[in-house]
Amino acid sequence: MSALIVTSLSVRYGTHHVLRDVDLDVRQNERVVLFGPSGVGKTVMLRAIAGLEPGAVGQVVLAGRDVSRDPPEARHLGMAFQNFALYPHMPARENIASPLRARKLDTAPIAAKVKSVAELLRIDHVLDHFPRQLSNGQKQRTALARALVGEPKLILFDDPLRNVDAKLRYEMRIELPRLLAKRETAAIYVTQDFREAMAIGDRVAVLIDGEIAQFALADEVYDRPATIAIARLFGDPPMNLIAAHGQARGSGTLVRAAGLVFGFDAAPPREPVFGIRPEAVMLFSEPETGRVAAQIVAVTPMNERYLVLLRTEDGTELVASHDTPPPHGSHIWIGAEPGLGALFDAATGLCVAAAPSSEEIAA
Amino acid sequence: MILKSLRGVALLLVVLFFMFPIFWIVVMSLQTNAEILSLPPKLIFPPTLMNYTALITGHLKTSVGTLNIAFMHNLWNSFLLSALSVIVALVLGVPAAYAFARYKFRLGEDMAFTLLSLKFAPPLLVLLPLSLEFQRVGLDNTYIGLIWIYQLITLPLILWIVRGYFEDASPDIEYAYRVDGHSWLKGFLKIAIPLARPGIAAAVVLSIIPTLAIALYAQRWLVEGLSLGAVKG
Amino acid sequence: MNDIATHPELITAKPARRRANPLPYLLSLPALIVCIGILIPFFTAVWYSLESYNMAFPTGRHFVGIGNYIDLFSSGTFWHTIVVSMVYMGASVIFELLLGLGIALLLRERSKLNNIISVALLMPLMVAPVIASLIWKLMTNPNFGVYAWIVNGLGFTNFGWASSPDTAMFTVILIDMWVNTPFIMILLLAGLRSLPTQPFEAAKLDGVPARFVFFRITLPMLMPYIITATLFRLLSAIQEFSIVYGMTQGGPGDSLMVFQIRSYIDFYQNTNVGRSSAILMVLWAITFGLSKLFVNQWHAMRERSKAGA
Repeated sequence: MSALIVTSLSVRYGTHHVLRDVDLDVRQNERVVLFGPSGVGKTVMLRAIAGLEPGAVGQVVLAGRDVSRDPPEARHLGMAFQNFALYPHMPARENIASPLRARKLDTAPIAAKVKSVAELLRIDHVLDHFPRQLSNGQKQRTALARALVGEPKLILFDDPLRNVDAKLRYEMRIELPRLLAKRETAAIYVTQDFREAMAIGDRVAVLIDGEIAQFALADEVYDRPATIAIARLFGDPPMNLIAAHGQARGSGTLVRAAGLVFGFDAAPPREPVFGIRPEAVMLFSEPETGRVAAQIVAVTPMNERYLVLLRTEDGTELVASHDTPPPHGSHIWIGAEPGLGALFDAATGLCVAAAPSSEEIAA
Repeated sequence: MILKSLRGVALLLVVLFFMFPIFWIVVMSLQTNAEILSLPPKLIFPPTLMNYTALITGHLKTSVGTLNIAFMHNLWNSFLLSALSVIVALVLGVPAAYAFARYKFRLGEDMAFTLLSLKFAPPLLVLLPLSLEFQRVGLDNTYIGLIWIYQLITLPLILWIVRGYFEDASPDIEYAYRVDGHSWLKGFLKIAIPLARPGIAAAVVLSIIPTLAIALYAQRWLVEGLSLGAVKG
Repeated sequence: MNDIATHPELITAKPARRRANPLPYLLSLPALIVCIGILIPFFTAVWYSLESYNMAFPTGRHFVGIGNYIDLFSSGTFWHTIVVSMVYMGASVIFELLLGLGIALLLRERSKLNNIISVALLMPLMVAPVIASLIWKLMTNPNFGVYAWIVNGLGFTNFGWASSPDTAMFTVILIDMWVNTPFIMILLLAGLRSLPTQPFEAAKLDGVPARFVFFRITLPMLMPYIITATLFRLLSAIQEFSIVYGMTQGGPGDSLMVFQIRSYIDFYQNTNVGRSSAILMVLWAITFGLSKLFVNQWHAMRERSKAGA
């Protein structure tokens, strides 16, 4: 049984379609990331699942139960808001206890559950503080504790790390999957940060213009973006997209891009575009077959990595990203990591094939 | 130096103009009738609480006889009237203020504007026909009639002030409470109302002292917001 | 593998339909009823104003269309009322604005003394206008009033205050100033104190003369506050009733017959409901225009303050 099945969910604000016939399913204990640029309806989708969008049309099935017509209080979800949404007039303890109070539990089990979740999140020492007395990190954890305490089968996270500092974001990125696994809770996690999406999501659903453009394992979205738009969005720095020449060869295509040659298992697209991740662009100080001469235009250190802006002899610009500094000298040779790269058709915007055959590169 | 003393003199005159009448009323309240009527006005006199005792007991003893005044009764009446009016306005106005703040709907905007423009309209425009109609149905000089009339003053005030407070509170807080499993009504009573409590308190005080209302309320957001607006253009 | 495939009943279930939320209507219903309760007398007054209706001769009541309005605008007394109301409104608001601005400038610096004074100056605002006129009536009483005695002592032996047609307007405007200047003062003070400091510092560095700073920087930046305060005061001054009624009931003669007093007297003394209502409708038209301006200004400022915050 799935934790959640959403079928043809639509939300319209006036004449503007925020969501258009969206389908989504979340398996038990699975973490699905809802990824997309700001303003594409990620939050609206979460709110519709929670029952907070009165105008939503479509079906929402939670743990086998159709809740499409149920008010939010009957859906038994956990939710963490971007702005924490703590109750300012209640101490942290009461904030966390709120879902249990709604179920009219007795005082003793409430106290025990609050204590255990607070210990798990290491906020048991601030339970008597009011939200205004808490640090941002503690507010964050209080909000998480409130979402977790009722042991819901599904928790909705609305970009919860957006408003916290980098250190805390890094911490939570590691801690959150562990926590969710421990509580055996499925989650939908909204973010526009692809690192967060990769760190937290088992699967990633990419939402663009009110529709799900791709819904696949995180690695697959990374290695084989379904569309050029996704390739541009998902990744920092994004995938290099290079206009290429395609030529039919057998049932496949021989693609030339920036002087490099790749073989793909698909018929030649109308307007071939070759995509390669910056990490898959290899840098060499020596020429060899299958390598192309290039010039280093700029080197920018970023997060213990080096971003290298390159220009090949045919004028193509591309970015490489490595955790070691590039070879000395401004003239180097580049190659592609075997098996990495994707072929798009600019005419349709779709991905045609991925994982070029490595023997072809040598050819 | 000259400027500074000029400023001092100006301030002194200002304080004198605005404070002297109040000071003088206090002085007169501590004088006997004869002292009040004497010219030149007396500044040095044995203060008496006679007038205050008269207010409380309801009998003012003068040289010509005892005058009965219904001050305490009137005070109690006007207190009761204000309190009841404010309570009625709260019960009617707070849910509506919430609706106007949380849901954008045509009727809401129309009502808000109608009530506000009626508040600014000449009071007699409503009072005179009401007094005629009230006479007809026997509501004149009754609490119900007067409370109805008072809604003209208190309801718009409560609507507009409390609405602002509801608008300022993030709806996410109420959403979170509902996702926790609480009904809408519970969220309204346990989250929305407590968060708007300062606004409700302000509206209550201000509907009892109407002119002060605009000045202080205006100041709240003027100071908070307009300065920022001015900086950012 | 797919749950939808293994649960076909989920597909056949009807999707939830979009429907209008009744909650906001339910919540505003009680207020709506009162709103209508207040609107009924308003429309009653509109109806009265189109009738020839005298309470003393209820049988003669009949519809006259705009007859009352034609009568009003062709009568000298009504034009007199318009003039008196406009003079009262114009003079009181101008003087209050100048005085209020002056005081706000005096109290601009944040200091303990200034704060105490600004709070103390709010006291007249807390006095009900009827009480204010009573206080001033006592103080200007020719027999024992302290102000009457002082003015007399200064040599103005025939200063009649509210009882003389020559000085009645002056007296009520003075009282209006006493009651309402603090309102303008506190608003402008709040405005002055929240102005950004950079332009003033820059002007100081450049050695710009004080007069220039005032007219080119302070005044333009304060304008939104001034407009708000002015509109609000215009709105209440054109309708002034309590102070004038408390002091003179519109007299002496008809020297202070402002709109609402003229209407009140027509209603209660002359029992002419039709004409009284027509006068109020004319006043209402004026205030409606002003209040529209005021509400727009108010919204614009609130929006701007929200955008800033």
